[in-house]
Amino acid sequence: MIPIENFLVLSGILFSIGIYGVLARRNAVLIIMSVELMLQAVSINFIAFAVYLHPEQFTGLIFAIFVITIAAAEVGLALGIILRIFRNKGTANVDEVDMLKW
Amino acid sequence: MELNLDWSLLTPEYILAGGAGMVVLLDLFWGRLRKDQLAYVAAAVALASALTALIWVNDDTNFANLIDIDNYTALFRVFFGLIGVFACLASARFVKDRLLHAGEYYGLILLSVLGANLMAAASELLTAYISLELLSFSLYVLTSYAKFDLRSNEGGLKYMLLGAFSSAIFLYGIGMIYGVSGSTRFSEIAASLSGDTAGFDMAMFLGLVLIIAGLGFKVAAVPFHMWTPDAYEGAPLPITALISALGKAAGFALFLKLFGQAFIPLVDDWRVFIAVLSAMTMALGNLVAIQQRNIKRLLAYSSIGQVGFLMMGIAALTPENADAASALVLHLVGYVISNLAVFVAIIIYYNWTGKEEISDFAGAAERAPYLALALSIGFFSLSGMPLFAGFATKFILFQAAAEQGLLWLSSIAVFFSFVSLYYYLIVIKEMYLGKPAEPTRFPTPWLEYGALTLLVAGVFLIGLYPQPVFDIVEEGAVAMMAVAEAAGTVTAPP
Repeated sequence: MIPIENFLVLSGILFSIGIYGVLARRNAVLIIMSVELMLQAVSINFIAFAVYLHPEQFTGLIFAIFVITIAAAEVGLALGIILRIFRNKGTANVDEVDMLKW
Repeated sequence: MELNLDWSLLTPEYILAGGAGMVVLLDLFWGRLRKDQLAYVAAAVALASALTALIWVNDDTNFANLIDIDNYTALFRVFFGLIGVFACLASARFVKDRLLHAGEYYGLILLSVLGANLMAAASELLTAYISLELLSFSLYVLTSYAKFDLRSNEGGLKYMLLGAFSSAIFLYGIGMIYGVSGSTRFSEIAASLSGDTAGFDMAMFLGLVLIIAGLGFKVAAVPFHMWTPDAYEGAPLPITALISALGKAAGFALFLKLFGQAFIPLVDDWRVFIAVLSAMTMALGNLVAIQQRNIKRLLAYSSIGQVGFLMMGIAALTPENADAASALVLHLVGYVISNLAVFVAIIIYYNWTGKEEISDFAGAAERAPYLALALSIGFFSLSGMPLFAGFATKFILFQAAAEQGLLWLSSIAVFFSFVSLYYYLIVIKEMYLGKPAEPTRFPTPWLEYGALTLLVAGVFLIGLYPQPVFDIVEEGAVAMMAVAEAAGTVTAPP
């Protein structure tokens, strides 16, 4: 059987890539994609813990389902707001959306 | 395990959810009612939920082991319901004049109150997370509600991107905690933490740090505060009030419950960490506020400073008694009432003039004496002057922190309270000594002045005679801390 460490390392790597994406990307849609990556890392984590450490209960699996659902809702909402900005300003680049400062 | 599935326990939440749907449908099908009366319908719904919550005062039960129904829950249900009432009333004129789609606007306010209620009531991490997202999503949409206003779009975008990022961090922390403790229930987490956890130290520590970071984002603690000024400035004014009152109060309700119940066995590990965050938060918030020109940004930074004071209460938590918890909740109540008074006054002024720079308040005392007086009272209370709510609540809070060996933190807090007085006085000086643009008086908005008077009365009640409010708050805090004790995790010292 695959040891649990493999899953945790995979999830850690995905999460780090997601954080890097949020910090490095300048397009709002790509930032949201990076956040999705982070959320999937969380799901992997939950499922690995649920299957390996606490196989007698479903909490972790149910948590993973809810994470997926909420991630979907989040994308819908985010795209709505980004679309609004794009309509009004013609760009989705967060560096150019800079009316509010200090 | 026997589950208590008594659905009637959630009646206040049904009222809010049903009311939210009803308000949207009313707007859709009954055009005559549109905009004018929707605010009062929504306020009535929020008030109804607050009053129904009184049924479960002094009760101690739970729903399906997910949602606690005790004094802590009852306290926050009433509190959040009343915040919703004031937010709706303050919006009435503003929405009519300046925003489209009133039905969804009030619906979302009610949904955010629903999310806040469940955040305070949750006794389990999944429920807490989902209600946190319900509150946050409603606030993201409301922040960007002025569709054609670029500033509103931008504030919403920044709030939403950073909020999504922070909830991912929060979730990763929850994952770690779940892996270590094998449960998402607060009391079971506490039980597993109080045993021998030597093998899991690193994962536990990582989870704790990530959860503090995630919650820090939600309540706007330094260094996770970057979204606050932009979201505050971009959002329509009543929504700024809602974020600063409801968002902050709900964030702290969860923060306090999570750390008071689940993580209290590790209190010695995180106390210094939270105390340092708290000191940084009050320093940065209060110092940067001094150089603001826009009243919304000033209040954004001042609210960051207040978060610093509130976090003292978490740093002062102790398993032995509920002093720090009740001091924190009391300051939260005082802060929210003062802050709402300030915001209602600013909303009234904005309805008249449509301006929100501090220099636009010049001569406000001549044109609207009562408004200027109420605004000054709110500011004095926020800065912690005697007579007003801020002094009594800050005094009790600083004392609770000093008792836990955080005297240095209390001293810093006292110093920055004086700093905060300075920038509030700038606005007050502008109002009383500045020259008005034109000498005419403003027309009197009776409804808004009524709401303002209630809030000012609340400020004086807590400032002059805090005992009744303090007793209520203490009951709630004791009920909350008792859970950790009942789990057998906390051993009182001999």
